[in-house]
Amino acid sequence: MKAEYINPFVTSTVNVFSTMLDCALERDPLCTKASFAPLHEVSGIIGLSGKAAGTVVLSLCREVALQATAALLLGERPTEIDADVIDAVGELANMIAGNAKIHLEELSMSVSLPSVICGKNHSLTFPSQATPIIIPFRSPWGPLSIEVGLVEVLESCSG
Amino acid sequence: MAKVLVADDSGTMRKIIIRSLNAVGVQDITEAADGQQGFDRFQGDEFDLVLTDWNMPNKSGLDLVKDIRSIGSKVPVVMITTEGEKSRVVEAIQAGVSDYLLKPFTADSLREKLDKFSID
Repeated sequence: MKAEYINPFVTSTVNVFSTMLDCALERDPLCTKASFAPLHEVSGIIGLSGKAAGTVVLSLCREVALQATAALLLGERPTEIDADVIDAVGELANMIAGNAKIHLEELSMSVSLPSVICGKNHSLTFPSQATPIIIPFRSPWGPLSIEVGLVEVLESCSG
Repeated sequence: MAKVLVADDSGTMRKIIIRSLNAVGVQDITEAADGQQGFDRFQGDEFDLVLTDWNMPNKSGLDLVKDIRSIGSKVPVVMITTEGEKSRVVEAIQAGVSDYLLKPFTADSLREKLDKFSID
């Protein structure tokens, strides 16, 4: 995956957490993803299609998911992963992917509707040709990461 | 008092938008969870403003705007979306969107849009 595809996801994650949650993030070094297991318990997943295709995952530890929901809704911290938490994580993932693709306009990408998976033992799959990159962050509520796997799509020839 | 239709498939986002509407005194709000529900509810009532997401199941916000314009309505429609590429904004304006607000947004930026259409 091209390095220039990474920065828009870093910037958009920091921007979404700052604007919507009033939460400052600190970034840790990038690493490649070695297993199907996400880093954290709650995954907000967005599919991307266009001149590049792949998957973006917002991976949150449980406490970050709960606190982020409370911050987004200006409400009390939920005590469990409920429908509000799942919807909030999906919307955060949607905003991160959508905001990033604005800066990758040359790829003409569309985003899928978000899906959210919770649990300690779930697996994530990326396009087989992609080498997913993990962008880890630290927040006041705990760790989170963005996992991005994108491959450029070759335009088919006709005639 | 203003009557506003809010269409977004995310319940979280609808709550955030409704909170901003309530803060400027708007209480008469109808919610829709997708574009089709939005158009059904639009046809069943009279609204002063429509706030809609773009990417929704069943019918997109873009198609909702096209439907609203196809029946001759000139109600202001603000698209609140992550679709911020120039080509998308042009597509939305051509479909009849009155204004555009990119997610993520601050409460102040949403309030500015509401002020623009004298919603209170």
